[in-house]
Amino acid sequence: MTPASWLTQIAQALAVLALAPLLTGVSRALRARLLRRRGPALLQPYRDLLKLVRKEVVVADSASWLFRAAPYLVFASTWVAAALVPTFATGLAWSAAADLIVIVALLGTARFLLALAGLDVGTSFGGLGSSREMLFASLAEPAMLMAVFTLSLLAGSTQLSSISEFLVSAAVGPNISLALALVALIIVALAENARIPVDNPATHLELTMVHEAMVLEYSGRHLALIEAAAALKLLLYLSLIACVFLPWGTAVAGAGPEWYALGLLAWLAKLALLAFALALFETAIAKMRVFRVPEFLGVALMLGLLATILLFVSRVPQ
Amino acid sequence: MFHVFNHSLFKSLLFMGSGAVLNATGARDMEHLGGLIHRMPVTALAFLAGCIAISALPPFNGFVSEWLTFQAILVSPQLAEWIPRLLVPAVGATLACSAALAAACFVKAFGISFLGRPRSSAAATARETDRWSLAAMLALALLCLLAGILPGFVIDALAPVTQMTVGAHLAPQASQPWLRIVPIDPARSVYNGLLVFTMIAVAAATTALTVRRVASHALRRAPAWDCGFPEPSPATQYTAGSFAQPILRVFGSVVFRAREHLAMPRPGERGAARLGVELHDTLWEVFYQPLAAAVDALAERLNRLQFLTIRNYLTLVFSALVLLLVVVAAT
Repeated sequence: MTPASWLTQIAQALAVLALAPLLTGVSRALRARLLRRRGPALLQPYRDLLKLVRKEVVVADSASWLFRAAPYLVFASTWVAAALVPTFATGLAWSAAADLIVIVALLGTARFLLALAGLDVGTSFGGLGSSREMLFASLAEPAMLMAVFTLSLLAGSTQLSSISEFLVSAAVGPNISLALALVALIIVALAENARIPVDNPATHLELTMVHEAMVLEYSGRHLALIEAAAALKLLLYLSLIACVFLPWGTAVAGAGPEWYALGLLAWLAKLALLAFALALFETAIAKMRVFRVPEFLGVALMLGLLATILLFVSRVPQ
Repeated sequence: MFHVFNHSLFKSLLFMGSGAVLNATGARDMEHLGGLIHRMPVTALAFLAGCIAISALPPFNGFVSEWLTFQAILVSPQLAEWIPRLLVPAVGATLACSAALAAACFVKAFGISFLGRPRSSAAATARETDRWSLAAMLALALLCLLAGILPGFVIDALAPVTQMTVGAHLAPQASQPWLRIVPIDPARSVYNGLLVFTMIAVAAATTALTVRRVASHALRRAPAWDCGFPEPSPATQYTAGSFAQPILRVFGSVVFRAREHLAMPRPGERGAARLGVELHDTLWEVFYQPLAAAVDALAERLNRLQFLTIRNYLTLVFSALVLLLVVVAAT
């Protein structure tokens, strides 16, 4: 762990925090444009957060300390997970401490706490949200892990920096396992971020809601933290896909400052591209019934498993 | 081996916690609990630690052993035999699924019994258990956390045991810098529980401080909003059954052949509507019940041997003797 890697790590942690609401704003604006609406301003999520932070918090009578502690812990674990994904440069200080499996598990911790908070107040909406969230997670998490297995088997490492550096090297051609893992990862990303075929981030009062029902009782600064965590999670998944499947342009450890600037620009371009793809996909597809979602996620799980098994079968024993 | 050790920690913790709840409320059914976090805060804290640990979530110990298992799976393409190579990914997928389902299960267990509002008067008037039980539970919870943050020491301590059982053990971990664990090769995979825990703690503390400095401090207690339903009764909360229902419907309809029966009274009648859930344990019905039936039938046959004449017994003894002699001669 060199000072340079610590500097990169801290810069990265601050960059994801600063850019996450902007990404949400961009994806909303793009979606509105595709629907021929004018849409909100790009900076609207920042204003929303600021307004929520300044507002008074209303806590239900039946809420316990867990309800008030959960937003901080959820935000913290999502932030740490997002800081672990190499965005504009590899060679982060913390990647020597935590790999891709840890990132998946940290998101799992955040979801666990949020689901508990949904049950804490003791209302039917919170329970509904928690129950469905855990249902989706019970398929999305294994699917994600299977995609992770595929990548790690290919690269011979579970560390994201090494995977990214391996994939950018010329050693990998087009690979069927990689394609299957990409599809699985995209499905998981849609489900985990409560995007359209699974859940609708724009609705608030609809019986099909999942995430919004779970956080229904939150207000003020607590809600701001949860919204920020959701924005970070979207950024995390898009950065992850960019880092693994579009690994070009990312600065490697020890490169000159111009490479870091280039890496930053490349990262922003990749994010914009993926946000556009997301908006396009969301406007083109309708929302699913709740009980169709497990089938959708089951496809992701099967693709991930297939990708892993193909690698297991095709590898020659050493 | 590490996983077995972890189980001994968090399983004991969870059993002690449920014992404390049983003692305090006299209720074994989760549907009669709720809101215990207000009445039994220390038990709730320890039980929560156990739930997070058993769901294999960082920074607790369950995650570390799951992580090590995954690392073992990821080196297994190097195995020479075909059958284990094909079985191992399936095992990995099953492990991942069961970890996620365990998380759902323990959200339900903790959420329904400790959170929400009390569903019975016993739960509403529950008292915290005695000091010694609390101390034991807190000690176990602390051990779960410590084994998750400093797994290297536990792995080293268990090395003689794995050496005896499977004839191999991981390289000593205590000499690794920064208290990290490295199962095979630092370039391949590293986990540092202490650093992950510190990162989460620092991030949470920074957030809390910033929010404290920037945000409004106002806090108001009010009845739950629940999208505008005023003063709902505790019976309108999600119950354990309703929490598990979607999962049951998705996974259980094949494995457990779960069927829901809804008996609605006809319009005008005043009887209550009933929703029943029927479950079958496939393993029990397909494997154990035929086995038990076969043993029963065999016993029925053999039963007749008890009512033979002395001549028949002598014949049996003689033929058994001849048979045994033949066997001895043949070998």
